[in-house]
Amino acid sequence: MAASRKASMVLKAVKKISVHFCPFESNVRSTREFLAAVGSGKVRSTNINCEVVSTVKHDNSEPVVDVTFVDGERLVMKGAHLTGFEMLSAFQSRCTAKDTQGKPAAKK
Amino acid sequence: MAATLCLKLLPKQGWLPLAQHVRHGSKAVTRHRKPMHILKQKLMAVTEYIPPVRVIPPGAYESQTKQAREQDTAFTLLLKRNLKNLFQESKMIAVVQNNASTAEDMMILKNRLHKHGINVKFFPNQVALHFLKGSIYSNMAPLFIGPTVLFVSKEPKVSEMLKTLRSSPQMTLLGACIDNTLLSVEGIVNYSKLPTMAVVQGQLVSGLTMLTSHTSSMLQHHPAHLSALLQQHIKQQSPDSSVEAAPAVEKAT
Repeated sequence: MAASRKASMVLKAVKKISVHFCPFESNVRSTREFLAAVGSGKVRSTNINCEVVSTVKHDNSEPVVDVTFVDGERLVMKGAHLTGFEMLSAFQSRCTAKDTQGKPAAKK
Repeated sequence: MAATLCLKLLPKQGWLPLAQHVRHGSKAVTRHRKPMHILKQKLMAVTEYIPPVRVIPPGAYESQTKQAREQDTAFTLLLKRNLKNLFQESKMIAVVQNNASTAEDMMILKNRLHKHGINVKFFPNQVALHFLKGSIYSNMAPLFIGPTVLFVSKEPKVSEMLKTLRSSPQMTLLGACIDNTLLSVEGIVNYSKLPTMAVVQGQLVSGLTMLTSHTSSMLQHHPAHLSALLQQHIKQQSPDSSVEAAPAVEKAT
């Protein structure tokens, strides 16, 4: 799935990732896969300050991933009709974009 | 051959011809990627693979061969038997998703849970799903996605389990089957807040006998009131007589 790009996921620009889902729904597979990929040790070790919070509810609500970046931007992904790969690639592209923005600014 | 020609044509040293013909390039096996000969390039371009056009997208319908291929190996049978025994023996089975626990974390967690008699079990999701579909616990099937761990115990020690899980942030409690009842996270929390069996039984008994005790107290209300009044009267009478006797004795003396 995202095995080829896992190593290059850098969370330096991410402040907090909160994942809400209801495990008894049928549309949570992608959200759980996203959580498993993001919560893994390798990825979390890139930024120890980043919190990964997962909430389990039972109120038939949609699975939601809420990412707060360091510069205040928020990325909200509703995983009901998305695949895990799409969510991961979107998240990763934002991360790398933020990273490349941050690095030239730091270098200057 | 070119070398021998060169030797004849270049008698003087340091003389290079105007045009150089490449009669031999590199060998067949090189360290760099050798450019293909133009004829080979043409052949490869002509003989490229054209896949057959599929009318139905590949993931649309489940292939029938896949269903036939699902035959239980001996290992899966063993695992299913283990699962069956587990479900029969243990009163509490909790499903937890662990995103990133190192072996060290796992060991510490196992140690903490073992003190309360909770075992940590790993089963492959496919085997678990196959087993659950056949048993009465089929509603637990959607819980088994991704990296899951089973916490099984004979006694439902929910509060200790919750405390232990709170210390490890990457374990997410998904649901539990306690006393053959499927509970969500809220249900588990409510279950942990319940008082013990004795207290609950006492409360139930007191609630049931409240009516009868009220009736009996109402029936006995009148005689009880009468007896209380009489006792009060006696008390009043006896101090009066003792007070009368005391001054009479004082007067006598």
